[in-house]
Amino acid sequence: MNESQATTSDPTRTSRQPWLMRSTAPGPTATGDTDLIARAAGGDERAMAELYDRYGHVLHAVAYRIVGQRADAEEVVLDTFAQAWREATRFEAARGSVAGWLTTIARSRALDLVRARSRRERITATAAAERPDSAPAMGGWRVDPSSGVDHAERRQQVQLALEALSPPQRRAIELAFFEGLSQSEIAELLQEPLGTIKTRVRLGMQKLRECLRPFYFERGR
Amino acid sequence: MSHPEQETLQDLAAAYALGALSPDEARRFEAFLAGSPEAQREVAEYREVAALLALGGPEAAPSPDLRERVLSRMRAPSARPAAAALRRRSPQWGALAAGLVAAVGLGFGYVQLREARDLRGELGRTTQRLATTSELLTEREATLNAIFEPGVQMFQLTASGDPDPGIQLFWDQQRHRAIVHGFKLKPVPEGRAYQLWFIKDGAPVPSVTFKPEPTGHVRVEQIPVPADGEVSAAAVTVEPESGSTQPTSPILLVGPLKRS
Repeated sequence: MNESQATTSDPTRTSRQPWLMRSTAPGPTATGDTDLIARAAGGDERAMAELYDRYGHVLHAVAYRIVGQRADAEEVVLDTFAQAWREATRFEAARGSVAGWLTTIARSRALDLVRARSRRERITATAAAERPDSAPAMGGWRVDPSSGVDHAERRQQVQLALEALSPPQRRAIELAFFEGLSQSEIAELLQEPLGTIKTRVRLGMQKLRECLRPFYFERGR
Repeated sequence: MSHPEQETLQDLAAAYALGALSPDEARRFEAFLAGSPEAQREVAEYREVAALLALGGPEAAPSPDLRERVLSRMRAPSARPAAAALRRRSPQWGALAAGLVAAVGLGFGYVQLREARDLRGELGRTTQRLATTSELLTEREATLNAIFEPGVQMFQLTASGDPDPGIQLFWDQQRHRAIVHGFKLKPVPEGRAYQLWFIKDGAPVPSVTFKPEPTGHVRVEQIPVPADGEVSAAAVTVEPESGSTQPTSPILLVGPLKRS
């Protein structure tokens, strides 16, 4: 199988780093987000407000990228925080960070919204929608002082990391994450072998992981 | 490469975190994930990577009032987190009892003005409602007490990619009993039911069958849990109503059981 073949060339298998311990044993600085979600689970609205200040812009960016329209993206953000508020008790730190959890919810809600429209209609709308460079700037967002990495720096690093991918790797990853396509659907869309797509996704994500590890949202990760 | 199948599944972690597996692949991977802490950590890290992806695209700020709209929506009574709603139960009961006392008091005041029969009917219905609700509360308190016993751990069984639906499994390790609380479960076809499985020493051990209420909720108590051997995970499939000895359909929900 392609996956088995690709395994032998996996560059990370022999160099796995101590990050493996982090999700189950958060360090002293990794408590911020988890504490906030625990307080939210107890009904503390201020904790959710703080999470909005930290991640509202990121969730909006995820949603905007998927739905292509600001009003819909805002609706997704509203739904995401409402769901996170209702289900805060179900958050499990061992399964990932708060940012990752919120992003998963936002992506899922955004894809639900897109699926509610016809795919064809969305593609047309996205192409005709607000052009990226005409979208308002994000100057109003507060930078979380505890993160140690400001938004501009993180954003620049993400862009550099994405540019370091081969265009086919980047395309496969973006089709999966933002369009909600499975690897099989991507293979069908691009008329490429499934094994090729799987390898692109896996190697591309490995490369992003290596580049972006210092820039994760979670404190201490 | 002592376990080639495991190596292959491990390679799916990135695609899983991206939501790029087909439903079948995702279920297969989740079954593997439940017993592989390394894969769980890998998925967690790839989710961190995925969370950053949107920063590579165009920037678009939401309206300045979105923060307030988010907070307003959270303040709706139906939007409360589960724990907060639970905490607020007692005052609600206080209010209900006070309301009943007030209703009775008002009732005597109105006796001279209105027909006593109507009031007695209303009082009877209210008393009946209160009795039914008290019974329900007693039952739920018993469940809560069982959950809060020392040595009880909670585990989550989840479906792929999305937090809905879900099952909370409360495991009382001293008494080898579990309670299952499910929510947002889809109805099952006639003659079929959900079945719980414990993954013990790598093999599925059949447990109880259950059907959700129309609301998608279900609660099953006093579930025997295998006492010996390594129980690494629990999973749920849809089976014939009478239950199966081996799973006959794909895993719908799954979660690791890491006992402390």
